[in-house]
Amino acid sequence: MTRYVMIADLNRCVGCQTCTAACKHTNDTAPGVMWRKVIDVEWGEYPDVERLFMPVGCQHCADPPCMHVCPSTATGQREDGIVTIDYDLCIGCSYCVVACPYQARYKVDKPHFAYGDTPMESEEIRFDEKRIGVAQKCTFCSDRIDAGVEKGLTPGIDPDATPGCVNACIADALSFGDIEDENSNVSELLAENSWFQMHEELGTETGFYYLYDQEPPEETESE
Amino acid sequence: MNRFYTVLQTCWDWRAAANFMFGGTGSALMLMIAIASYPETPPLLLGLTALAFIGLGLFMVWLEIGRPWRFIHTYFHPQTSWMTREASAAILLFPIAFVGIVFKIPAMITLAGLLGLLFLYCQARILLASKGIPAWREPTILPLIISTGLVEGTALLLLSLLILDSIQGWALYLLLALLAVRIQSWNKYRKQLTAGKASKQTLSVLSSIHTSTIWLGNVLPLILVAISLMVPSLTVMLVCIASILAVLSGWYMKFTIITRAAQYQGYSLGKLKRGRPTIKPPVRRKPDRFVF
Amino acid sequence: MNAKTAKKPADITKVSTYCYQCVNGPDLLTVEVIDGVATKVEPNFDLKGEHPADGKVCVKPFGLIQKLYNPHRIKRPMKRTNPKKGRNEDPGWVDISWDEALDIVAEKMNAARAKGVQDENGNPRLALTLGGAATPFKYMGSFPALMFAWGPIDQSLGAGGTVKCYHSEHMFGELWHRAFTVLPDTPRCEYIISFGNNIDASGGVTGVRRHADARSRGMKRIQFEPHLSVTGASATEWVPIKAKTDSAVLFSMLHILFYETPIDKLDVPFLKDRTASPYLVGPNGFYLRDPESKKPLLWDNNTNKAVAHDTTGTDPAILGSFTVDNAIEVGADEETWSHQNIEADTGLEKAKQLVADRTPEWAAEISDVPAETIRRITNEYLAHAHIGETEEIDGRVIPFRPVCTVLGKSVNNGWGGYECVWAHTMMQVLMGALEVSGSMLGSTTHLAGDTDWDRSLTVDIGEDGFMSHTFTPTSKEGWNDAPINRHAQDCITPMAGKNMGAQLFGSTTLAWLRLQERAAESWPKPNPPDIWFVYKANPAISFSETDKMGDAMAKFPFIAAFAYTFDETNHYADVLMPEATDLESDQLLRLGGTHYFENHWESEGWALRQAVVPPQHEAKDFSWIANELARRTGLLEAYNSVINGAGCGIPLQGEGYDFSLDVTKEHDQEEIWDAVCKAASFDLTAGKETLGLEWFREHGYKTRPYSRLNWYLYPLIEDKGLRFELPYQERYFRMGKELANRLHETGVHWWDRQLAEYEPLPKWMDLNKLWDELIEKNHNVKAADYPFWLLTGRSMQYAWGANVGIQMMKEVSDNVFGHDGIIINAGKAAELGISDGDEIEVTSPVASTRGIARLRQGVRPDVIIMIAQFGQWKMPFAKDLKRPNLNKLVPMNQDYIDGSGSSIDGTKIYITRVGAA
Repeated sequence: MTRYVMIADLNRCVGCQTCTAACKHTNDTAPGVMWRKVIDVEWGEYPDVERLFMPVGCQHCADPPCMHVCPSTATGQREDGIVTIDYDLCIGCSYCVVACPYQARYKVDKPHFAYGDTPMESEEIRFDEKRIGVAQKCTFCSDRIDAGVEKGLTPGIDPDATPGCVNACIADALSFGDIEDENSNVSELLAENSWFQMHEELGTETGFYYLYDQEPPEETESE
Repeated sequence: MNRFYTVLQTCWDWRAAANFMFGGTGSALMLMIAIASYPETPPLLLGLTALAFIGLGLFMVWLEIGRPWRFIHTYFHPQTSWMTREASAAILLFPIAFVGIVFKIPAMITLAGLLGLLFLYCQARILLASKGIPAWREPTILPLIISTGLVEGTALLLLSLLILDSIQGWALYLLLALLAVRIQSWNKYRKQLTAGKASKQTLSVLSSIHTSTIWLGNVLPLILVAISLMVPSLTVMLVCIASILAVLSGWYMKFTIITRAAQYQGYSLGKLKRGRPTIKPPVRRKPDRFVF
Repeated sequence: MNAKTAKKPADITKVSTYCYQCVNGPDLLTVEVIDGVATKVEPNFDLKGEHPADGKVCVKPFGLIQKLYNPHRIKRPMKRTNPKKGRNEDPGWVDISWDEALDIVAEKMNAARAKGVQDENGNPRLALTLGGAATPFKYMGSFPALMFAWGPIDQSLGAGGTVKCYHSEHMFGELWHRAFTVLPDTPRCEYIISFGNNIDASGGVTGVRRHADARSRGMKRIQFEPHLSVTGASATEWVPIKAKTDSAVLFSMLHILFYETPIDKLDVPFLKDRTASPYLVGPNGFYLRDPESKKPLLWDNNTNKAVAHDTTGTDPAILGSFTVDNAIEVGADEETWSHQNIEADTGLEKAKQLVADRTPEWAAEISDVPAETIRRITNEYLAHAHIGETEEIDGRVIPFRPVCTVLGKSVNNGWGGYECVWAHTMMQVLMGALEVSGSMLGSTTHLAGDTDWDRSLTVDIGEDGFMSHTFTPTSKEGWNDAPINRHAQDCITPMAGKNMGAQLFGSTTLAWLRLQERAAESWPKPNPPDIWFVYKANPAISFSETDKMGDAMAKFPFIAAFAYTFDETNHYADVLMPEATDLESDQLLRLGGTHYFENHWESEGWALRQAVVPPQHEAKDFSWIANELARRTGLLEAYNSVINGAGCGIPLQGEGYDFSLDVTKEHDQEEIWDAVCKAASFDLTAGKETLGLEWFREHGYKTRPYSRLNWYLYPLIEDKGLRFELPYQERYFRMGKELANRLHETGVHWWDRQLAEYEPLPKWMDLNKLWDELIEKNHNVKAADYPFWLLTGRSMQYAWGANVGIQMMKEVSDNVFGHDGIIINAGKAAELGISDGDEIEVTSPVASTRGIARLRQGVRPDVIIMIAQFGQWKMPFAKDLKRPNLNKLVPMNQDYIDGSGSSIDGTKIYITRVGAA
C-alpha cells in the first residue's frame, strides 16, 4: 500500500519561514492561519544554550486523536494515511483542536483579510466560504498529490505532485514520500539517519519524522 | 520532559466552560432528583430546573460552534466520539425527563436520572479524550468531573428541598460524603499533574485556586453541613450557604480548568531512534468500530 | 465572492520572473495568475540542478502578491501643498496627473541645469539615493541611463551604506583578491570559523542551501557571536564572544599559527611564491627596492642575496631578518631613501612580530573566550586545512584547502574592521587557503572594475608583482582637493577607487554629517541638492541618529520620491510618483556566474523580470518615466545613447550585432528590453541565437555553462605570476601618508584619527575602551553608565525593501524569536527586575527608544539585540507595530568613522524598565 509521510531534517532547517509562506500561498489560508509553520526553540542556560528550528503542523497520525473525537465524522483518514477534513460536515465545535497534541488545527470564525475587512483582489478571487467556521489544517496538499498521481507523477519527487512546503524549502530540509515503499526517498532517509517522532508516548503514530542527531534535553519548558 | 510553546488553548472559552459547568450540575441534579423523588416524580419546577441547567449549558456551547445550524451532524459519530454520546444522552434525556415530569411517570424519571449520570460521565470522557491538553487528558479528571458534578447536583437538590421545605437527611449525608470525595479527587488530580505531566503555567493556575477550592469550596461547606446535622435549627442557613459555596466552587474549578489551566502539550523533541521505523498502518484502513 | 464555484473554467497562467530584493539574487520564481489576478508564488522548477538552490526563492518574494495589491499603495502621483516640512507637519498631499508630476520634476531639473549641474561648491545639484545595497538599480528600467546622461550625480546621501554593509571587506577584499565580499567554497569546505557572520539569515537562497548541504556532509562551523543567531543555531559550536573583541581572538589565532605551530605545518610554498611574505621591509616602513628597477626585494636562500621579487629560480625566505647591501625605499610623494647594509625583516616576519604578545591567554581576558577554546579551534582549523592536497577541476590542478574564516557585518565595519579583515585573511594565507578549492573565495568586484558578473576580467598585472588596482589618486598632481560629492570620497577615502560606482563606497555618514554641520569644519557646509531623487530607500528610518536625519531632509528644496506607500522619508518629499513595482515591470538581468555571497553557479546568463499583471492603479514603469523626463529635459539623445551603451546592462551593439535604438526617437519599455534581450542572447550564445523579449517572456531565462574553475582566482594569479598583496600593506601605507600630506597641505586636520589607520599592519586596538572614550568625549557622559552593547541581527523575512509593511511578513516572521521586541539575557533581566513582555526603554548617548523585553538565554548578559529595522511612524501597517528602532540610537559622529569611511550600527546603552507586560 501507500502511506505518505513527511520528514523534516532539523540539521538543515534555518527557520526562514519560506515553507510557512509557501503553504499560505498554496492553500490560501487566512491571516493568522499557518498550516505549516516553523517554531524557534531554545533550551539550556547561558552560556550553554541550544537553539533550533522545527517545522510543525498536522502530523497525519496513523492513529489520530482528532478523528476519534470528531462528532460529525468531518475528520477522516485516507488509505494513504492523510488525515482529511470534510468542510461541509464540520460543525466547528473545535473538539479536534483541543484533541490534537500538535496544535495543528485552526478555525476562522469570520472572514478577515490581510489589511482589514476588505479583501485584496488576490484574496477575493481565492476566498472560499466553506472554510469559515470549520476546522482546517494541513492536508499534505492532497489535491496536488492526487492531481499529480493521476498524471503519473511521483509525490515528493515531482513538484506538481508534492506539497507546497516541500517544494519551497530552500534548505532542502523537507522531504515527502511513501514510507511503505522501502526504496523511496523517505524510507532511505530514515534508514540512514537518526530520527524521532514527536510525542511518541501518546501513541499517535505520526506520519511526520524529524531527522536529528542529538538526544532531547531533559527538563526544559517554555511558553 | 521537554516542551515548548505550551500556550493556552483559546477555542473553548467561557461558553464551552458553561457546558461543563451547568451541564454537569444539571445532569447530576437530574440524577439526584430521580433518587430523591423515587418512587414518585419530582415537582414540575424542580424537574424543569434540571433540564434548564443542562439546556443552558448546551445552548452556550451551541453559541460557540462555527456552524451552529449543522448541529445535527453532532450525532454522526457514536463509534468513538464522546461528544456524540453526550449529545445522544441529551437528546434522549430531554423528552424522557419532560414526559416523566409533566405526565408524572416515575419510570421515566428513573431513566432520566440514569441518562443524567450518563451525560455527566460523557462530559468527563470528553475532556479525557482531549489529547492536546495535559490537564484534561489526565485520567484523574474523570473522578474529579464526576464528583464535582455530583456535589453540585446534590447541593442544588438540597437548596431546592430547602425552598420546598422538605429537606431530606440522607441528602445531607450524601453531600458530606461527596464533598470528601471531591476533596480527594482534586488533590489526586493536582498531585498527578506534576511537572513533567503539565506545564508550569498549568500547575501555577491550579495552585492559585487550590486554597479557595479546598477550604472555601469544600472544607467549609463540609463543616457547615456537619454542624447543621448537629444543630438542626441552623440547617436552613448553613445548608444554604454550604450548597451555594459547593456549587460555585465547582463551577469556578471547571471554568478554570477549561479556560485558564488548559495549556497545550506543547512541542517537544523525542528520543532518537535509528534504522527503519516500524510502521503502524493508518487505523482507518479498517472500518470505524465502536470503542469505549 | 467565490471562485471555487465559478461556472467557467478559470484562465490560469504561470509567469516566470525573478526576485532581486536582496544582493543574494536574482532567484527565479513563477507567479500564478488566475483570470488576470496574481495569486501565488512558486519556485521555478525548471532550474533544478542548475540554480545552486534548485530554482527556489526565499520567504520574501512570497510577500510580493500582497505588495502588489496592498491597499495602502500610492495610487497616482501626488504633490505637497503644505510648504512647511517637518516631522509633525502634514504635507497636505493632493493627487495630480502624471503630466503635472513630470512637468514639476522636469522644471526643477531644467532649472538646475541652467545654473550648472554642479553648484558653487562643485557638488552635483542632482542627488540620487537608493537603498538595498544598490539592488534597486535593477528595478529602475532605463531610468539609470537617464541619470547617467544627466551628468554628475551625487549618490553619497546614503540610506545606510558603509554602516550596514561589509565595508572593510569591500575595500581590502577587492584589493587582495577581488573579493567585494568573501565566501567559503561551501560545497567543498570542511571547517568554518565565523565571527558574527549570519549566513543562514543573510545569505539568501543559495547561501542557505549550500550550507545545509555542507552541514549534511559533515562540515563544521564555529560561530563566535555575542548572541545565538539563526546561524549560530545550526552551528557546531556557539562561542559567546564579548562584543567588539573579535580582533583579539583572531590575533591570538595567528599567534598560535606563528608561535605554537611548526613552520612546515603552514603552506610554505604558497607563502613563498603567491604572497608578499618574502618582501623585505625598510626602516621607514616601505619595501626595500632595487635602486635600478625599483622592484621590491626578497631574500633568496639559494644565493644568500637580496634580489628582485620576480627573479626566477629563487627560494624566498619568508621569515627572518636579513642584511641588504644596497637598496632604496620609496615613500609618499616619491620621497626616497637610500640604504646600504641595511637590516630588514620580511613582511611575514613583521606580521609575526605584530602578534608576538597576542597570546590566547591575553585574548581570553579581553574576549571571554577561554584560551583552551581558542587553541582547540585553531588546531582543528589547522587539521582541516589539508595542506599539500590538490583537486583537479576542468583539467587544471589547484590546491585544496577546505577551511575558511568569515566575518559578520558589525565586525567588518567601523573601528576594528581593518584588524579583523586583515587577521582573518591572514588565517587563510598561512594555510594557503585563499582562492583555491574549498577555501575562502571572493564573489564579485565593484571597485576593481565594472564587470561585476565576472571578476576574472579584472585580474591584470600591476606593480610590485601584485594585481593592478586603482585607488583614487593621492599624489600632488592627481589628488582632487575639491570634493565633488558631498561625502568627498574622491578626496578622503581613496580605497574606493575611481570606477563608475566608486562614490557608493565613500562615507555616506560624512555626507549627512556635513549637511547637518557636524563634521569637516574646515570645508564649507555643502548645500542640499537642488533635486533629490529617492527610491526604495528610507534613510529617515534606516540611517543613524534618525531624529536628525528628518531635520536635515526638511531643509532640502525639492525631493522627488518614487513612492510605494507613505513612509518616513517621503514624508519630506515634494512630489510622490508611484513606480511599477516588482511584479509589474520588466527588466533583464544577468544570472549566475559568481555574484555576491554564495551565488556561485556552474552556468551564467540572463533572466527576465516581467510584469505578471499590468501595473496597479496609475503606477508606471520606470522606463516610461525615464522617457518622459528625457523628453522634457532635452536629454533624449544622450539618454538613448547611454541605453545603447551598457545603460541597460549590455551594449546594444558590438562585434557582429547591432540592436541599437534610434537615439532621436522615444522607445517604450517593450522596445528597449527587446533590444537588450537580443544583445544579451547574441552575446551569450556567441552569435548563434538572437532571442527577443517574447522569447524571454515565455522561457524566463537563458544560460550557458560557466566553469567552476572560474570561482577560483588562484589559476589566474598563478598563470600571471602574481602574488596576493599580503601580509604587509605597503601600498596602503604609502597612500595614507600621501593623503595625510594632501589634507594637511589644505588645512584639513579633522580626518587625522582616520588617517592614523593607514598602517602597513593593523595594530590591535581595544575597541571597548575606544568606544568608552569616544562616547565620553563626544556626548559628555560617563561610559560606565552605558554598560550594554546594543547590536542588531538580520531578519531574512524583512531585510531589504518595504517588507515591514507587508502583513504576511509580519505573520510568518513572528515565528522567529525577538522580532517583536528587544532580546535580553534572561538572567540579566531578572537582575534588573524585568520580566518577559515588560516595556523597557533603551537609551544611548544620543536618543532613546522603547520596546518590549524578550528574555532569552542565547545572548550575552552585557548585550541586547534589536532585530531588523522598525520604529516606523508613517508607513501604513508598520507604524502600528510599535517596535523599537536601533538606528535612532546610533550616534552619527565623525569619531566613529574608520579610515575607510565606515561605522557600525551598534552603540552603548543603558536600560530602564518602564512598565509591566
